[in-house]
Amino acid sequence: MNGNGAPRFQEGILEAISNAPGVSGGEEAVRAILTEVARERVDSLEVDPMGSLVARIEPATRPRGAGKPRGARRAGRGPHVMLCAHMDEVGLMVTAVEKEGRLRFRRVGGIDPRILPGQAFRIGPRAVPGVIGALPPHLVPRADRDKVTLAEDLYLDIGAGSREEAEEQVSVGEYAVFDTTYEGWGTTRKGKAFDDRAGCAVLASLIQRRPPVPVTAVWSVQEEVGLRGAAAAARRVGPDLAIVLEGTASGEAPGSPPEEQYPFMGRGPALTIQDRSLMAHARLLDSIQTTAKRHRVPTQWKRPGVGGTDAGRIAISGAGVPSAVVSVVCRYIHAPAAYLDVRDAQRAVTLIWHTLETLRKEWP
Amino acid sequence: MAVSRSSHLDSLLPALSEAYGPPGRETGIRAALKRALKGAGLVREDALGNLHLHIAGKGPRLLLTAHMDAPGLIVTRVDPSGLARVSILGQTSAVDWVGATVTLDGTARGVVGWDRPKDPKETREIEPEALYLETGLRQRQAPKRIEVGTVGALLDRAERLGELWHGGNLDNRAGCAAILAAVRGTRGIRSDLHVVFSAQSDLGARGAATSAFGIDPDVAVVLDVAFVGESRGPGDIALGKGPCLGLKEEGYLPHPAALALVKRAAKAARVPHQWLIRESGGSDARAVRASRSGVPTALVAIPARRPGGPRVLIHASDLEETVKLLRGIVTTPYTGEKGSR
Repeated sequence: MNGNGAPRFQEGILEAISNAPGVSGGEEAVRAILTEVARERVDSLEVDPMGSLVARIEPATRPRGAGKPRGARRAGRGPHVMLCAHMDEVGLMVTAVEKEGRLRFRRVGGIDPRILPGQAFRIGPRAVPGVIGALPPHLVPRADRDKVTLAEDLYLDIGAGSREEAEEQVSVGEYAVFDTTYEGWGTTRKGKAFDDRAGCAVLASLIQRRPPVPVTAVWSVQEEVGLRGAAAAARRVGPDLAIVLEGTASGEAPGSPPEEQYPFMGRGPALTIQDRSLMAHARLLDSIQTTAKRHRVPTQWKRPGVGGTDAGRIAISGAGVPSAVVSVVCRYIHAPAAYLDVRDAQRAVTLIWHTLETLRKEWP
Repeated sequence: MAVSRSSHLDSLLPALSEAYGPPGRETGIRAALKRALKGAGLVREDALGNLHLHIAGKGPRLLLTAHMDAPGLIVTRVDPSGLARVSILGQTSAVDWVGATVTLDGTARGVVGWDRPKDPKETREIEPEALYLETGLRQRQAPKRIEVGTVGALLDRAERLGELWHGGNLDNRAGCAAILAAVRGTRGIRSDLHVVFSAQSDLGARGAATSAFGIDPDVAVVLDVAFVGESRGPGDIALGKGPCLGLKEEGYLPHPAALALVKRAAKAARVPHQWLIRESGGSDARAVRASRSGVPTALVAIPARRPGGPRVLIHASDLEETVKLLRGIVTTPYTGEKGSR
């Protein structure tokens, strides 16, 4: 797809990081891939104390006077923009190994326990396969057939017959991720953890070329457990403004009134006006919208009032940072397999890229 | 002169109360306050939308802050029937919106209704999902004119009702008016005074957190309103008994030295006061108190009553006593406290 002057969305990155495990607090594998992708493209790269990957990349042309003292905004360079996407995904953590070899777990991040029974997982750094035990219909008592097993009654089964046997494979504290492999057909892509590997891949695609303004790219940690990594990173980075890249939930739901079913997969990036963590900065949002119109990138609204993102914490860090969120709309996030439309990912790259150009000219 | 002071409030309060200023979109109230602050000192707006006034002076850096935002409604969709569905921005319940007149970004007006239960005997609580905005626009026009994300604010001008002020958005436009009245033309300010009309307070003290961080004050006084029924102190608070001094909120305790400053000022100015103890919920005080490595902070609250519906009541004498107290606070030297914060 033509990004009209913007970098191309790198689908290979999405595939690699979607397949990699990275539950909140255990983002190493994702970070390693992104480090490789970013290393040659950026001016500096570090892992901050929380574990977020922070890359600094200067604009394409270095105007004279680039060596001016830090702190003072240098004329003509535009604002220092923090682009942020979180690396972590929702998953499980093993909390106990039982005598019979079954694993007890707790959920990390928001997973609806009703979707868990029967699901396949990969556990720990060795990607040990496991399934969440569910009785076959033959054995379910008639009275229980319409019931969902409570989250605390669920267990992971790795096929072990005893605690000893199980502990050879996994140990308490290890994470489990949905056992889903990335695939695609037409413009649809299927995979796990598109929230927020979609945003991570959009960000990685953007920095393949020198941006129009100074950019600090942050791939943050622990978003799903309370927006933690971005809060710390924002304080260190101290940007002039921030745009958070997300993979957000589609509103398409059979049965609800059509006017309620937004945003849609395949209809362009979703813009946030307000969610539980953020009131988007009005002027920054306006810049993004104007840019979208100018470059004919279709956009839609994310439903107000629901969800929360890293932007909420970045916005109130330090003395305040104007912040906005641009999302790739995905179906079935926080579940074993999500869908996205790869055209939306390219549109997000295009929109952010041109927004950075707009900001160089028009901000503050 | 007491006379000029109260007449001052008589014109200020109605104007401030009707200004548009839902959390994160405080455009109208910010403009109104800017106009009122002409000539008072250095005025600026920051990244979160807070409005700052700096009256440079010698002495400790004093932050005096009141939130200027008031709850709003945000449009989530427009029904085929032309009714706009909304969700609430801020800490109010749906029942307080029913019957309110709302302005939508200055582009249209609406009246808030709710889906009544089919059975009139059913007495259930009003859920936010049941609220809608009737805009009077034609059925086909409404979805085009009213976009998702449009933010509505209560359109209501405060008026006198005997000894009381009666009106929408008085939480916390009353506080804003009191600060304006207290700092304009006041001589003998004994501090480097930073006044902040904070934004997004109703979404969790967001503006207060960032402005306190930016200013890094030596001492801070937060001004808000408190509602009758909220205090679990030595008896509830009441209208007409003077401003409340906050002793406790959720996640907040006053700093002794900051509280001492307020008490000294109250005593010197002969301002009666009452105590406020909130077990749940709170003001901007918590965010200011916990900013950076901790800011000595006191909370002053104007007593208010919510009779039901969108409007609130405050007593005119409480407002005037609050102005006197604030004037005392900015003219009383802050001596800090020996020992730890």
